Amino acid sequence: MALPRVVTITAVVLLLGGGALYLARPDDEGAPIRKRLQSFAEAVNRSTMDGAGPQSRAQQLASYFTDDVDVEFGGGAAPIRGRDTLMGMAERLQPRTAMFRLKFEDVTVAMSPGGEAADVHLTAEFIRRSITSGEESLDAREFTMTMRRVDSEWRIARVTAVDTLR
Amino acid sequence: MRVLVLAAASFITFKWLLVPIRTEGSSMLPTYAPDKLNFVNRLAYAAGKPVRGDVVAIRMAGPHVLYVKRVIGLPGERVAVRGGTVFINDKLLDEPYVKHRRAWDVDEVVLGSSEYFLMGDNRGMSAADHDFGRADLDRILGKVVF
Repeated sequence: MALPRVVTITAVVLLLGGGALYLARPDDEGAPIRKRLQSFAEAVNRSTMDGAGPQSRAQQLASYFTDDVDVEFGGGAAPIRGRDTLMGMAERLQPRTAMFRLKFEDVTVAMSPGGEAADVHLTAEFIRRSITSGEESLDAREFTMTMRRVDSEWRIARVTAVDTLR
Repeated sequence: MRVLVLAAASFITFKWLLVPIRTEGSSMLPTYAPDKLNFVNRLAYAAGKPVRGDVVAIRMAGPHVLYVKRVIGLPGERVAVRGGTVFINDKLLDEPYVKHRRAWDVDEVVLGSSEYFLMGDNRGMSAADHDFGRADLDRILGKVVF
């Protein structure tokens, strides 16, 4: 068999196999969580430009967290305990966050038995725009999260920064 | 049919074998400038392990956001930085790719059996603004080429 024919058949088999695997893939039970995180990122980004007051913005974002949310950024920073504390900090930080965008990449979701909680692993990208030059710079950080379903909404219960390079 | 084959070959090549990346930030200056296109050879370590001096891509939560750093220390070695100079097992490491240095100091670390010590080439920046440190082999996605 001529070599081009072998290559052609291999490519067709790979394409058909890939297509079959794609069509036969199991339902993604993590999809609602990914959607919720996407919505959170959009809310954060919207809150930097919607002209609403800091309190209103913090209220918008509060619905994405559980009352007892726990946030650990590591690197010697004190952990943040509770939604009220977190939102208080977000209110105070608002003017400084006005020129950044948040984006989540490589989100993997592992549902717990029962489907009421999930472990999430992701990379958060912070794209900052210089107020003076307009240039964008990218910063990224890896996080693990625990999300819980509360009042039929997925909420962030725990956030822990992961040191990719230790 | 040829177009189909070409599309499939390109997809496989650039998705799994030679992955294009766009560099951001200045930590690899002057070797890699920001906003340039480079490629990661994902098969580079299929039959071997990273060696000192290799520039590698390190994954974060997945393959879409990567660190690009140089391999400085190998598994089992002791790595320290004194006054901006790297010492491996107490011996000075010659680093011709470093053009600017500040007097960084990093306490000695002993690398585990699958750990590598990774740093950027730009030592002229503040150590606090430069991400460096240890990573396990399974974090290394491939070798940066071109």
